[in-house]
Amino acid sequence: MDEEEDNKFASCTYFARNHPGETCGSNGLPLTPSSVTILGRAQRLLTIEHRNLCTYLDIIRGKHERIIVVAEVIGKSLAEHTSKFSIQEIISIGVQIANAMCYLHQQGITHRALSDDNILIDSCGRVKLYNYGMYYMTDGGKEVPFPLGLPRYLSPETILNGAGPSADIWSFGIILLELCIGKLWNTLKPGPILRRILTLVHANNPAERIAREHDCYDSYKALPENIRDIIEKCLTIYPSERSTFSEISEVLKMINNQKPIDLKVPRGLLGCKLQYLYHWWQLAGGDIISELKRNGLIKNSPPILAMPIAILLDGCTIGGKKNAVFDRRIAKYSLQILKNRLAHISPHDFYPLMHEKRKECDTVSLPKIIRERDTEYQFYRLLWFQRLLHGYPYTSQYIRAQAEVDIPPLVRGDVWAALLGVFGDIEDQYERIDKETPTPTDRQIDVDIPRCHQYCWLLCGRAGHRTLKRLLKAWLLTNPQYVYWQGLDSLTAPFLYLNFCNEARAFACLSAFVPKFLHKFFLKDNSAVIKEYLAKFWQITTFHEPELAAHLHDINFVPELFAIPWFLTMFSHVFPLHKIVHLWDALLVEGPQLPLFMGLGILRQLRDTLLDSGFNECILLFSDLPEIDIGECVKVSIEMSRNTPRSISYRRFTNEPEIKDPMDVVEVPMEVLLAEICPRISLTDFFSLTCQEKCCVVDIRSNLLYEKSCIEGSINVPYSGVHLGQHELRALGLHPSKVLNNVIAQKKTVIVASAEDETAQLFSEYLVKCKVPRVCILHGGVSALQSHVPSLFSVPPKRNGPK
Amino acid sequence: MTTEAGENVSKTFKFSFPTCTNKEVLFKLEVPVDIPYEGSSRELVQRVLKMFHIPVYLEDELNEKLAEFIAEETKNYHNERDEKLLNQLKNGELNIEGIIKGWEKNFKENVLEFAEQKGSSDEEVFATAYHKLVHSPALETILQVESSYAKTVMNMIQNRDKDIKKLTERQTQEMEDKIRLLNISTTEEEINALAGKHFEEQSVAAGHWESQLDALRHAQRAAHRAWLMTALDDYQLNENATPSNSPLCMFPPDLPGPIQPAPPRLEESFTIHLGSQLKQTHNIRLVAVDILDLCSVNRGDSGTWNRAQPALGLYSNDLSAVVLLAEHEPSRSPLVALARQATEHHFDDVEIQLRDIAEKVKEPAEKRNLERVAGDGRGRSARVKRSLQPGDVYLSRHSNLADAHLVYHLVIDDEQMKAGDMTSRHPAILALRNILKSASCNDVTSIALPLLLRHDLTEEMTMSWCIRRAELVLKCVKGFMLEGSGGGGAELRTLTVALPSTTNQTLFSALADLLTNIFRLAGPVRQNKLE
Repeated sequence: MDEEEDNKFASCTYFARNHPGETCGSNGLPLTPSSVTILGRAQRLLTIEHRNLCTYLDIIRGKHERIIVVAEVIGKSLAEHTSKFSIQEIISIGVQIANAMCYLHQQGITHRALSDDNILIDSCGRVKLYNYGMYYMTDGGKEVPFPLGLPRYLSPETILNGAGPSADIWSFGIILLELCIGKLWNTLKPGPILRRILTLVHANNPAERIAREHDCYDSYKALPENIRDIIEKCLTIYPSERSTFSEISEVLKMINNQKPIDLKVPRGLLGCKLQYLYHWWQLAGGDIISELKRNGLIKNSPPILAMPIAILLDGCTIGGKKNAVFDRRIAKYSLQILKNRLAHISPHDFYPLMHEKRKECDTVSLPKIIRERDTEYQFYRLLWFQRLLHGYPYTSQYIRAQAEVDIPPLVRGDVWAALLGVFGDIEDQYERIDKETPTPTDRQIDVDIPRCHQYCWLLCGRAGHRTLKRLLKAWLLTNPQYVYWQGLDSLTAPFLYLNFCNEARAFACLSAFVPKFLHKFFLKDNSAVIKEYLAKFWQITTFHEPELAAHLHDINFVPELFAIPWFLTMFSHVFPLHKIVHLWDALLVEGPQLPLFMGLGILRQLRDTLLDSGFNECILLFSDLPEIDIGECVKVSIEMSRNTPRSISYRRFTNEPEIKDPMDVVEVPMEVLLAEICPRISLTDFFSLTCQEKCCVVDIRSNLLYEKSCIEGSINVPYSGVHLGQHELRALGLHPSKVLNNVIAQKKTVIVASAEDETAQLFSEYLVKCKVPRVCILHGGVSALQSHVPSLFSVPPKRNGPK
Repeated sequence: MTTEAGENVSKTFKFSFPTCTNKEVLFKLEVPVDIPYEGSSRELVQRVLKMFHIPVYLEDELNEKLAEFIAEETKNYHNERDEKLLNQLKNGELNIEGIIKGWEKNFKENVLEFAEQKGSSDEEVFATAYHKLVHSPALETILQVESSYAKTVMNMIQNRDKDIKKLTERQTQEMEDKIRLLNISTTEEEINALAGKHFEEQSVAAGHWESQLDALRHAQRAAHRAWLMTALDDYQLNENATPSNSPLCMFPPDLPGPIQPAPPRLEESFTIHLGSQLKQTHNIRLVAVDILDLCSVNRGDSGTWNRAQPALGLYSNDLSAVVLLAEHEPSRSPLVALARQATEHHFDDVEIQLRDIAEKVKEPAEKRNLERVAGDGRGRSARVKRSLQPGDVYLSRHSNLADAHLVYHLVIDDEQMKAGDMTSRHPAILALRNILKSASCNDVTSIALPLLLRHDLTEEMTMSWCIRRAELVLKCVKGFMLEGSGGGGAELRTLTVALPSTTNQTLFSALADLLTNIFRLAGPVRQNKLE
């Protein structure tokens, strides 16, 4: 009993079929390994939940085409039960199996391997089917080298290599019969068993015939008539005459006079979702593979003993290993290590309340990657997010606030959807889109998909390719104003990866993501949008990294040469998925200006290399981007984004409402934007910086104008007196250079105020060349400020000493 | 067993609905549907609605009807097929025995429950024992034992060589004396007879030594096995037992002789990143060394510990391999002489392995050759005499070589390899692809190959020739490595590209530059200082 409770999940393992030699698919690319196909197909099984089915928890692809299937487990299998069941118990078992099978058939899943060792029953009489998806995930057994099922449960048509779903009904009939009269053909080998099954086709009543063969005719006849009736309806030779599971389930329900088993819902740890338990168990050090090894299910056979002796030019391999045999046994796992790990947690903590004050974990200060591996931290976070997601969309504010801290990997798909505001009947909306009819872009899509994040086993399989294509087609159809730009595939990949079995949500996320972050990027003529984006990126680089920007300007290494794929795909073309998710976690919380700073974050990590490089080296460097520390990049970019005035990253091509207030406007014509090296700051932002004393105004009007009336606290550097060729602050004179050095040290923003744009541009460029960070131009110059905020103006105090 | 899939049938779904104005007139809709239908029936309904401009109020009805239709037709599809099969069975039209034999075999070979009771093979038992022992304190003893075994063989070989040399000297002397007397006291016939006798003597001596060597190898192999198995028993009885009861006494520990410093060779290593999004790290070593040196017998002269690495890795999942350019005939490999300098304790003797390969390869290769000729249309039968063709690869396994557990023998046509205009479709390059693929499938994590696909520098191999060849090979290898990373086997960790040992400094550094241009070097990790 104890042991029974302890084992919550179990795993089994097998090898997928090896493709012979060097075969290629129709598209000329190497065939997808069978294990990848299985992995893709099996994803759907992970989403199936039914009270009489063991939930699938994980499908792992090991080395050398090994597949490990992890699923829930209860009690013992029928095969392990030695005692006989009473008629009542048999009926109860039958009902539950029939319910489960009925559900599977509704889902279009054929079991085909129903047998006494994959029907589990616990001490309360609850029945669950274990690993019912083998036939489904292996595409009807095509992807594995071994036969599915046990010989004695195979229906005659299965043996003849036919068999549809109704083969399951035959197997069910055999199982019922076995429960009633004991194990069938117990001592026979597969061959004779199969032969006997085939000879049953000549019998009028196969069930009776089987009973006779086993000298059980009397005990068979002694069974209640309704049970015999069911068995005989299952064991009809022609599938068309067999009953169906819904019928069987109805009949059995009628004769089942046992009360439905009502299990007490366990509280505490065991009351948590099984997927969470499995996740925490793994974080706590649970190891799927080592247990399989201990049970002898994974054997270490030294590879050198299995070497081929020759490989011919066409890839034909001679000699070498044979397929390992399929071991039907399973390895069960105890939750003990997780229980021990979480033993000190009070029962109260399993049920977090919405408005309760949250306990501060000191783990928060650790890097994200470490937090994601911390059992206890993930325990608290997952339960909390579960609660918040439950309340979505009413809890979106809370979700956003929590997502700012971090997002537990297990619920990332849900959280992203929440952050993007996805809700409503998305399935229905998605269903209405025609994803099948061929369109002219199909060809390009077909070319791109086999090159998109193919290191990810989910995305490189047949299922992944198919779904990605459907998503792209659906998006293009619903966005007729846009066209397919290469990179859209990469952009879709993260959503597909996180919502692999929920196409509709992947689509809804993509549809919400594009207008928010990539408004108008996919127009047929997107040059203006991209130009503006890159210009903004360049200005922000100048604002935060003047030295680097000046160097790149000098060698003429412009963002058009490297940054287009960064922004067009929001970095999803440049980084592997496990990095993209962290990047986008931040993106979705912080908003559309963050990518600009992320680009800068990347440049900053390459800063030293770039400063030493000329044009050619830079091109080479970016053609194959070196490793980037994403955690660092995210941290830095958020920090920069937050302490950069909003108007600095203003872009015209967003889907935000147009800014009308003259205090907030920073918009300039495109030519001006492209010509300016430093960004402009709006009057509002300037005002708030002034109030916080975080800026220093450099007034470059002539000293006459300045002395008449000037912005309070500003310094005057008359433009006419500046030698633009001398890139040293000292050249500006003693006082201004002292002030500016002070400003740099205090990380204040330098605001160039002028009477005309042209001088402001030239002077700000000069400051950048002097490596002054945080330089920007006051939009509209002194005159605009004077007309809107006259209160900031005063007459400069007369300074003593020489000017 | 697979079902007979792919034979989808197309059924026509019929639906009719009244027009708005006249209840009598019906619109008729006919849609062909593939059974079994893969997609969602509801999506199909949406497409139908759109395509035929069907009023939306029919949506629910259509959804229901189509789903029903598909369910019904799918059921019929399965049932009809099965009924046909069952009827055939009833009428005895099927080969029942064949079908049952097929299932029986399938169950027996592929499912453990029905497999004939077979324990681990001898090979596997020995492998496990050895692997366990080399990872125990017994390692040192094992190495010493093996090294002294090797020394005995070496000594015998030296004696043989000395003996044969002596014999040859004596014979030469004799012959010279005889020839000097030609036409004086001897005749040509006599000289010929003498030559014949000499030849006989030579072969007798060689045969004698060879059989002695064979006997020694056999004895060593048997002793080695027996000793290992007992050592394992001892070890398992008492895990802490230091192997003091090992036959150390019989084998005095090696006295490290004057260690000769290895001759300096040109060598440079790089760490590279491969992959566009997900980056894999690999090591590449460029070295100028005779590739045969890499698979020379480990003599243990330079300290027993040189043996440790190959011994530890032998039965592990980190194998190392060398690619050797070879001739068509496996038994003529230069490896035979090399590898036989020490006893092969684990696998068959090289000679036997190669003979075995030649035999087993013959049939499939010749079948292939015939197909190839047939495919060509023209009878180029002259070239099909040999079973192995350029681009084919055969493998031998070794436990006694310095840097390799496996040797890939790449069959080439030496004349072809001299040509300067090799392309990426050349058999040798394609064979490299097969080799790297097989390596990743079989847990070979380090592999050495001749970069120029030549073992020696010859005169036509000018600087530009070498650079061109190296560029081709490196670029192709880069592609193959990228390709292999998704294969589901072990990642290749170390790639050694070997140049002929006579490579000069200029060529070497030119090729090192080339390598860094083709592969992206992993830069040192930079800690970013914030301000």
